[in-house]
Amino acid sequence: MSKFKKGGKKSIPGVNTSALPDIIFMLLFFFMVATTMKEVDLKVDITKPVADQALPIENKDQVDFIYIGYPIDAEEGTEPRIQLDDRLATDATQVGDWKESKGREGVSPLDIVTSLKVDKEVGMRIVSDVKEELRDIDALKINYSADQTK
Amino acid sequence: MAKREVGEINAGSMADIAFLLLIFFLVTTTMEVDAGIGRQLPLKIDYVGPPPPPINKRNVLEILANSKDELLVEGKPTQVDELYDIVMDFYTVNKNRPDVDKNMPNYQQVTIPKCETEIAALQKLVEQYPDNKQYASELEKWKEKLKLCQSFPTNSYSEIHKSAVIQLKNQAGTTYGLYMEVQNILKQVVNELRVEACEQMDYPDYFELREDREEDQLYISNLRILVPERIIESKIDR
Repeated sequence: MSKFKKGGKKSIPGVNTSALPDIIFMLLFFFMVATTMKEVDLKVDITKPVADQALPIENKDQVDFIYIGYPIDAEEGTEPRIQLDDRLATDATQVGDWKESKGREGVSPLDIVTSLKVDKEVGMRIVSDVKEELRDIDALKINYSADQTK
Repeated sequence: MAKREVGEINAGSMADIAFLLLIFFLVTTTMEVDAGIGRQLPLKIDYVGPPPPPINKRNVLEILANSKDELLVEGKPTQVDELYDIVMDFYTVNKNRPDVDKNMPNYQQVTIPKCETEIAALQKLVEQYPDNKQYASELEKWKEKLKLCQSFPTNSYSEIHKSAVIQLKNQAGTTYGLYMEVQNILKQVVNELRVEACEQMDYPDYFELREDREEDQLYISNLRILVPERIIESKIDR
């Protein structure tokens, strides 16, 4: 009938997928460069406050993080808790010992900045307790973590 | 010998491997940049020695953030966006002329003889009370001030009253968000004044100065003298 239809059934050729790995690798490299490793699994919920004067922390290896927020796991209660590395601390008095154990090669733990990542809804009492603990052991360099923009 | 044909390697699963890697990185990494406001906590001091002279009320700016998240500056209710001007006034209102605002600290002239008498007095105190770390750190400060004096052609400079402090008070229920807003404003004022000082003194860009670079250390210590960031925080009562 038609001028162009010649012959009988013709199979459609498969889509060439040989460039797919290249595309995926490109994505992979993008993510490897643009992101940083997560330090810990957060057990507390943290919405950081906004502060336009905040400056980026340059050398993340030389910073210890203390997380304070409401626990995600309901079994841990509804009061704000302190997370040190991977576990929740029972109270602020553990902060001193934890900090003193965080020395790096050739660097005293007291010279390492302690960054406080605190949820903005948390009351100041727990934050004040943590700071007193750090003062007690003379770890005086701290950093209040905040987002630079909304 | 017959030519043997090399079979093509099947690269079909290459995409799967790459996907696997991609997903691994997506899960284990975060995009966020860590930023924050740096602060130095005050030294813990067991006070020994003669009692310090009483502090004039005008030299203290009291900022209270109470449990209801209200801000009281010197006892007066204040909005957060008014705080910037108040803190700026605290630093600058009496800078060029004394007593423009009698509730804010005056500036003092620091001269070489003054530095020398302070250093001599502090050296005696340090010998008398070697345990008091505050005297030792004050002595260091005055030695730096002496050096700064010498670097000016007039051999003197003016600084905010040496006991001028900002007293930040919180209560147990004050939210961290409000506290950070206050901290942010204090930092903003100090940063702006230090940038200004940098321009006046022909220093490099303030935000490019790094404490771990030796050539920047003198700039930083001088800026800390010219625009001091003295914040006292009292402990929250149990």
